[in-house]
Amino acid sequence: MINYHPTDKQLQQFAEGNISPALALVISAHCDVCSQCQEKVDDINIELSSVIENVRAHDFKDPAFEKMLADIMHLPVIDTKPVVAPRIELDGRFFDVPRPLQRFVKNTGNWSRLLGKVWQAPVDLGDAGMANFIYMEKGGRVPEHTHKGTELTLVVDGEFSDGLADYDSGDFIIMDNEHIHSPHSNAVEGCLVFSIVDKPLHFTSGIARLLNPFSHLFFK
Amino acid sequence: MLVGISLENKLQNTGKPKDCADEMSQALLEVASQRCQRSYSKIFGYFAPRLRSYALKQMGNEALAMEMVQDTMTNVWQKAHLFNAEKGSPSTWIFTIARNIRFDMLRKLKNRKEDICSDDLWPVLCEQTPDQNEVSLEEQVTLEQVNQLFNNLPEKQRAVIEAIYVDGKSQQEVADELAIPLGTVKSRTRLALQRLKDMLEDHD
Repeated sequence: MINYHPTDKQLQQFAEGNISPALALVISAHCDVCSQCQEKVDDINIELSSVIENVRAHDFKDPAFEKMLADIMHLPVIDTKPVVAPRIELDGRFFDVPRPLQRFVKNTGNWSRLLGKVWQAPVDLGDAGMANFIYMEKGGRVPEHTHKGTELTLVVDGEFSDGLADYDSGDFIIMDNEHIHSPHSNAVEGCLVFSIVDKPLHFTSGIARLLNPFSHLFFK
Repeated sequence: MLVGISLENKLQNTGKPKDCADEMSQALLEVASQRCQRSYSKIFGYFAPRLRSYALKQMGNEALAMEMVQDTMTNVWQKAHLFNAEKGSPSTWIFTIARNIRFDMLRKLKNRKEDICSDDLWPVLCEQTPDQNEVSLEEQVTLEQVNQLFNNLPEKQRAVIEAIYVDGKSQQEVADELAIPLGTVKSRTRLALQRLKDMLEDHD
């Protein structure tokens, strides 16, 4: 069951288009699996779209409009027959992903082992930067860390805990330098998450702190 | 070619949006089913000028505003069959398209220097594996091995790196504690990081 959602303010900013592309992507993926948030966004959309109707329209006699109209009507129709939704594959297992993430499946690199039972596959978001799919096997744990920037996470499939809370499929999680956590999964089926970070993680405990120079090493 | 434009121009001036929601829905259906240029011109005549005003307000740039209008209205032409009158009004549908276009444009405008590589964020301590089933235990770099990399650093460099990155001290604090110039701390840090990087590459 989904327990962690974007705030109403974030949903409002998302609907307005006043939010970073990374946050917009994770929120739209969350809304795809969370009817509660989708309904809120639908309501905001209706409210916002009235501004288009009430705005004082620009003079249509601008010749640029005529050319634009003619150009557009020369374009072919795009056939958008439903295709088989692309899925994420790991070791013979296939995971369905929310629709907004599906177009990035083909941009997802090979899985590599991060540490122990934690796997990572990089996702090229194009102009929006990079993301990762992270898979924690049962018993897998990411060492305790905080964040130099913002860490956005959407639980795609499974459950995990991080010492702060327990999360389930569809949960939307946003962490920053005020949070210290250590994600781990005890679910039999493990846990797949989609994650975007904009600055290096900072490992906070024990020997894992030795990883920090490497975070910085590549991040100048 | 531009059949109907001057005619439909009147529509935008009547200005009662709710009155024309049904008319716009019908026009979208005709575009979807018959590629009806007249219906599309009607939709375009109503929405394009409004979108332009709206976009100009949001983006504050004439060229960007027109780009958004063009991309949005192109989607309306090419994907009219995706409009579902039961799920909302034409203006809501077109507004959400415009918003998505805006996101795409923001992405393209985003400063490239902020671009990041995932390697920066998750220290990659292992090789890319085309087939993870082939990974042997020996190939996995563990924290113990990371520890060994540190042990291979010259003692002076190691002390500086641990103080800064593990204990979280500032370079000035380290300089004060060790009673060495700040410049020396900086150069030791730089040399040590380079050395760690080289060792990681050798490991690969």
